Formats: sequence, structure tokens, C-alpha cells
Amino acid sequence: MSEGWAVRLPGEERSARRIAVLAAVFTGALGLLGLRLWQVQVLQGAYYDQLAQGNRLRINRLPAPRGLILDRRGIPLVTNRPSFSVAVLPMVVGDRSRVVSVLSRLLGIPEAEIRAKLRAAPPFALVRIRRDVGIRVLTTLEEWRTDLRGVAVIADPLRSYPYGTLAAHVLGYLGEISGPELERLRPWGYEMGDLIGKAGVERQYDRLLRGEDGEQVVEVDAAGRPLRVFRQQEGRPGNTVVLTLDLRLQEAAERALGARPGAVVAMDPRTGEILAMASWPSYDPNLFAVGISPEAWRRISGDRRTPLVNRALATAYEPGSVFKVVTGLAALRTRAADAGSTFFCPGSLTLGGRVFRDLRAHGRVSFRSGVAQSCNVMFWQLGLRVGPIPLAQMARSLGFGERTGVDLPGEVEGIVPTPEYKRQVFGEPWYPGDTLNMAIGQGFTLVTPLQVARMMAAVANGGQVLQPRLLRSVLSPEGMVLYTSKPVVVRRLSLPPEVWAAIRGGLVAVVEEGTGRAAAVEGVRVAGKTGSAETPRGRPHAWFAGYAPAEDPRLVVVVLVEHGARGGIAAAPIARQVIQAWKHLYAPTEVAAGRP
Amino acid sequence: MALRRWVAETDLLLLGSVLGLCTLGTLAILSATRSPESPWGLLPVRLAHLAVGSVLLGGCAALPLQAFRRAARGLYGVSLALLLAVDVAGHERLGAQRWLQLGPLSFQPSELAKLSVILLLADVLARRPTPPRNLREVGGCGLWVLPALVLVFLQPDFGTTLVFLAAVLGMLFAAGTPLRTLAGLGGIGLAALPVVWRWLKPYQQRRLLVFLDPSLDPLGAGYHLIQSKIAIGSGQVWGKGLFQGTQNALQFLPMQHTDFVFAVIGEELGFVGTVGVLGLFWVYLIRGLQAAQRTPEAFGRLVGVGIVSTIGFHVLVNVGMTVGVMPVTGIPLPFLSHGGSALLVNLAATGILLHLGRRRSWSGP
Repeated sequence: MSEGWAVRLPGEERSARRIAVLAAVFTGALGLLGLRLWQVQVLQGAYYDQLAQGNRLRINRLPAPRGLILDRRGIPLVTNRPSFSVAVLPMVVGDRSRVVSVLSRLLGIPEAEIRAKLRAAPPFALVRIRRDVGIRVLTTLEEWRTDLRGVAVIADPLRSYPYGTLAAHVLGYLGEISGPELERLRPWGYEMGDLIGKAGVERQYDRLLRGEDGEQVVEVDAAGRPLRVFRQQEGRPGNTVVLTLDLRLQEAAERALGARPGAVVAMDPRTGEILAMASWPSYDPNLFAVGISPEAWRRISGDRRTPLVNRALATAYEPGSVFKVVTGLAALRTRAADAGSTFFCPGSLTLGGRVFRDLRAHGRVSFRSGVAQSCNVMFWQLGLRVGPIPLAQMARSLGFGERTGVDLPGEVEGIVPTPEYKRQVFGEPWYPGDTLNMAIGQGFTLVTPLQVARMMAAVANGGQVLQPRLLRSVLSPEGMVLYTSKPVVVRRLSLPPEVWAAIRGGLVAVVEEGTGRAAAVEGVRVAGKTGSAETPRGRPHAWFAGYAPAEDPRLVVVVLVEHGARGGIAAAPIARQVIQAWKHLYAPTEVAAGRP
Repeated sequence: MALRRWVAETDLLLLGSVLGLCTLGTLAILSATRSPESPWGLLPVRLAHLAVGSVLLGGCAALPLQAFRRAARGLYGVSLALLLAVDVAGHERLGAQRWLQLGPLSFQPSELAKLSVILLLADVLARRPTPPRNLREVGGCGLWVLPALVLVFLQPDFGTTLVFLAAVLGMLFAAGTPLRTLAGLGGIGLAALPVVWRWLKPYQQRRLLVFLDPSLDPLGAGYHLIQSKIAIGSGQVWGKGLFQGTQNALQFLPMQHTDFVFAVIGEELGFVGTVGVLGLFWVYLIRGLQAAQRTPEAFGRLVGVGIVSTIGFHVLVNVGMTVGVMPVTGIPLPFLSHGGSALLVNLAATGILLHLGRRRSWSGP
């Protein structure tokens, strides 16, 4: 056999060359790897070392307790209660499929859901799988602790609404922060998995209520076992929010409304403070505290009766006759009428060949009794005299067609129609019939009960259009007053005193002798206006909007009963109950003053 | 006397590189597997593997090549049978069926198959008067090894399948197959990619995708890539010192004693250590190729090329994976990764290389 380096055959020669090529290829490849190692270890080494340190250090958030929500007298409406959550640190989990299957069985959550949560979280974060777990789950997890690496039990206070459905729409509820919300709010320190207010005061004042989470930097091993605490920074509990609501009046309002779809608003006309705001159907915010299940959420949000909607401000209704206050004021202001005017009501009005019928013929009526009897013919005449544009202007001055600015999310503006509006939206010109409709609160006009309350307050306080509010004050966690709210006057409607006197006279008459008799309360003079607003479908909406005591108003009450048919029959009694409750609470010894 | 002759004949560089690699591997495995509960970790097992492996190495170095050539088909048959057994009755771990369990011992037939395929293909190619000239002839040779390839792919073990392909390509290349034909093979390979992709299991697909963007799955497949780079990079130039690796000690790095053992080296011995390991491998591969080059008859030459191609491919893919230039493929690092089957087969193969590389005196083959 030939020696190693002796003459080779041609085939061997080619083979030898090729082997040399292989050698060169390997050399080159190893060289490239060497270069890469140079890059990673020498050039970027310090950076990776830093990351390596990061592996070792775990940052635990110490969740701060959320602030309480109190009523005006300091009674807690929303509190926190202790609870425990089961969480997973995905980075540390040993046997992921086993952990997922065990947790799925123990907590009753589908495996796919758990996996999705783990996938969505950043690598070093704690992922909550299930909140508010019971003692059975806790003890089971404790037993299996060594088997389930990466699973932790954390103390997670839960939001509690001790009064259940009471004032649910005002208080709101919490939910996990969504993607878009997180994008918007991250600069303020919000993180994935945080609970934030989704509705009501919880949402409006979320940043005040939130507090600041504390931070604890712990050195751990890969099993998540803490070795020592590097650094700890205490957090701050959230502030306490004191509302203007009076729990007792709220209870009375909700009891009076009962199971009738609609809303009740009780407001102080001197300050704009909301004493009660009820909306039915309602819901229990406690449902959301733990994290509502998808089926429960579907049930509630898909409910055709829309329990989540705050009917006091998130829906606009046809006002019907309560709008006549606007018409009356517009007429008085333009001197189309005054306290001494009289009108003839034959029970109908003919205009442009059409006959518009009233409920009945009222005969000869004074301004005062026209208001008291809610005579359509009189108001049609007033409307025609005033004209749609001044009518719209008066409506806008009184705050219709715009948001009141109340400190709750979800408010709608309603509609104050004008000829321009009709042309733009419907492509049709304004007919005199539209003016008739507008004058009695039908047609295109849409208002919210809160707007009506604000209007009534303006009548009661002599022209101040206030911004309704629910926030009374903010307290620090230690109880120091950080902020007290003050009344905000959005607009002043300056009208001569005779005008106020005239309209008020009519409103007092409504309750004393007119359509609103059912709202009369013993010992308090009540003034107001009923309304029965025709709707495109179903029975008319029933309204009552009023204030008391008439000579020195301290309370405005607005009641709306959806499809309640007659304001004087369905809505007025509810108002009476609310005013009664108010009197009992705030003016028990008063007696109604003599007639003005 | 015999010792002096042995020293004169044996390629000490090759032997020395293997010794160095095995030693470093042992230290890394010890570092990676010790814990307060178990201060020696997997060291005893590793030493046992080394002991048996050394015997194999000596044995194979002493055997004449003819012995291997004669045993090639039989060995291949045994490999196929074992591969079949694994696919049917194998022990599943990490989502793949690769092991056969015999009492306390586990055995990975694909490792044996690597060697037997090399031997068989070398035999087939060496019998030919000329190297395969076109695709048809290549196919004819390839048909012999196809069953093994398919059985491995079905385990599913995509990485090892690629190893086979690397060995086959290397051997075809060294045998003198025209470049045009090899290019044609490459074309077929590319065309087959979409089909292969669909055959891959989701986790294998994910591994490949994640390689392109580790942040796609930072907790799963991307995790290894990210953690490995962190460990290696944090070693910087001199390393944190043997047994001082925090990533390793705190168990942030998974599979640190098997597939990712290079990261332990990187963290504890730094750039000096990693380049040292690469250097040792370079010596091994070059000496191996030189040995093959010196071998006059085709069978031996091709076996040498096959072995070097296989080991070289392992090194490139495994190290590449740990530094993030290759996807995670489950291929171990020869001589360093912990694993009995691989170590034994690699040491046996090294024995063959030593046999090929011995400086023959005039007195005989």
C-alpha cells in the first residue's frame, strides 16, 4: 500500500482537493462563529451581564389598596375586602403543561384560557389566573407547592359594594385594563393586569382612587424562591372620594322608582350637588369585582333592557310637557305673554289646514292655569308667537342640547332642533307644525333627565344654570381633606323678576290644582311640571320635574318613567315619595308657608 | 517500547483535542448539574460514560478498517430495527420519541444510526468504479440510507435528519460527485422545503420562526435563545469562573448540561473558554480530514470524511444555536453535551479516525 504522501491516482487527487475544500469550509465557519462570540462576549458582554443580573432580581409590586367611596355623610358605599389570587410566573414554571392542567382542574378554567393569559404576559411578570379563590384552593395549592414551581398565591384586595345594586350607575365597577386603555394610560403608571374603573365614579376618578403600588426588589433563584430583599419601597393607598349623594335619599328614590324602567334625579338647586340618582334596570357591581365571566358579561351587556345604561344621563328622551317650561319662559321673555295674559282653548288648533287636537278643551285660561292644566292649545299659540329659533335659543340657554358636564362618563347631549338642523339632517324645510310640536316638547327634541333637573334648578334659583356634580370632596388616605368642590355656574340667565314669578306661579299651580296633584306633600309646598311625552313606539314617557319648598327651593326632583303613560299618574307620585323622604331627613319640623 | 511506537504512530494532536474536549465537557456538566442536594450532580454517570467510551475508542482504533466494512450492512440493519423500535415503543421526552429504555439505561438509536449510515454509504460509494455522475446515480446510492433518514424524521427529529444529510453531502462531495449534480441535489432540496415545512410539527415550525425573531415567543422557544445569549455574553472575556455561573447556578438556563452546555462554558470561562473549545474542535476536524486525505483507499477516506462532516455539523449548529445564529434544533455538542449514546458513538468514531490517521510504517497497512 502506498505511503501517506506518495503519488496518488487522479481520482484520489480530486478527492484530496475536495477534502481540502471541506477543511477550508469548516475553518471558515468556525472562524465566523469565533467572530460572533467576539461580538457577543467581548463587544456586548457588559450588556448581557446586565441582563443576567436582571434575571436574578425580581420586582414585586406591592398592590396599593384602592380608595373608598363615601356618601356625603361619610358612609362607605364602596370598600375593599381581603382576598387571594392564584398567579403564575411563566418564566419560572418548570413543567408548563402540567401546571396548566393542574390549575385548570383546580380553578375550573379551561386550559386554553390559562395558556392564552401566559402567552400574553411579558416574561418576568406575574400573571393572575384567578382572583378571589376560596380556602379549599388555597390549602390544596399549599400542599402541592413544591410540585408546582412557578405558581404563587398573592394577597389581592377586592372591591366590595356592600349595598349591592344601590347607586350602581353612579358608583360604576372595575374591570381589567384593556389593550387600548393601557396604551393611553401607561404614562400614568398603569400596567397590564391592573383593574381600572370602567363606569361611573370608579372610572371618572380612577386616578384619585388608585393610589400608588409599592415595589419590592427581591433576589430569587430560578424556582422563584426569594433569597433576600434588595430594596423595598412602600406604596400609597388611594384617596377617598366623598360623593354628594345621600345614601338615605338614594334608597328612597330607588324604592320609589321600584321596578319601573326610568330614572330619578334629586339635586340641590343652590349648588348643583346631586343628592340621589337612580336608574332602573340596575345591576350589582359586585359581579364585576372578581372578574366577570364571559357568559355573565354577555348576559348583562346583551340584555335588551340595557341594565348598564344610566338612564339619568346616557339616554335622551322626548320631554313632552316638561318642555313647556322652556316655551313659557321664552314667551315671557319676548313678552309674547305675561302673567296676566289669557288664552282661549277650544280643544284644538287649526293651522295650515291641519287640525291639532288637545286632550280637552280648557276654555278660557290664564297663563297660570294654562301651565297648571298643561293646555296644549295655549302653548301652541305661545310657540307660534315666539318662533322656533328663539325657542331653541331659550332651550339652549337652559342647558338643553349640550352635556351638563356632570362628573360621570357616558353623558349624551340630546337634541334641540332648529330649522337649520332639520334641513341638515332630514333635508326638509321647517314647517309650522314642527313649531307646534316643539312648543309642547314633541318632535325632534330629546333631553336627559339630568338636563331637565338642571333646567328646573335654574328656574328655582333664579337663572343660574349650574354644573351638576357628584364629587363633594377628596380625602387623603389619612383623612385629610385634599379638595372640596365648589358650585360651578355654567351660565346665568338674566330675566326680569316678573318672568320668574310668572313661571313659578304656574308651576306651583300645577301641584296645587293642576296635573301634578299627586306630587303634593304634606307640610311642603311643591312646584313642578308633569309631562306625558308621545313616543314613536309604545305608551308615552311619564315625566315629573319639580322643586321644593316652592318659596325657598332646596331640592329639585326629576322623575322619568319610560312608557309610564301619564306623568301625573305614574311619575308624580314617585316624586312625592322622594320629596317626602327629603323632608323627613332635612326639614322634619317645617310647615308649608302661606300661599305666595 | 510498544509505548514509544504507539506515540510515534498515533496522531497525538487528534487524541489530545478529544481529551481536552471531554475534560471541559465533564467540568461543564459538573458545574451545571451540581446542587446543594446533589453535590456531584451527573458526574458519576459522565465518568462511567467516559470509561466505556475510552474502551470503545481504543478498540475501534485497533480494529482494521475491513472489519468495519464487513460489519457495515449488519450494523445498519440493527440500527434500522432499533429506530423502528423507537418509533413504535420509544420513550417520549420533550415531545419526541428518541430513547429506548432498557432498565436503568436509556439508549438513543439515532446516534448509532449516524455511524452506521456513514459506514454503509462509504461502502456503497467505494464499491463504485467512479463517483456518481448524475442525480440518478446519486439517488441509487442515497436509496440505501433513505430508510434511516425517514425513520429519524418521523420520530420527529428534524435536527438529526439534517445531520444525516450533512454527512451524505460531505461524503458525496469528497467522493468526487460533479458539482453540477450536487447543485441539482441542492435544487431538489429547496423545492422540497414547502413540503417539508408542512410535515414539521408545530413546535418545530415555531422553533424556526422564533429563530428569526425570538421575541415571538419569549417564554417558550425564544426563551432558550435569549437566555443562552445572556449566559454566554455575561461571561465576557474571562468568564465568571468555573462553577461560578449564576445563570447556571440559579437554573435560569434550561438544558444546560445537554444541548446548551456551550453556554455554561461561555458563562464560566468567557471568550477565552469558548474560543478554546472552538480551537480544540478545529484541531479535531482538521486532523481528522488530514487523516482521511492520507488514506489511500476510498472506503476509509469516505468514512473519515463522513465522521468529520457529522461532528463538524454538530458543532456548527449547536454553537450557532447558543449564540443565536442558528435555530434551536436539539442537536448536542459532541464530547461536551451530556449523553451516553452520543458520547460512546463519537468516541468510537474518533477511534476510527485515529486508526485512519496513524502514521504507518513501511511494514504494513
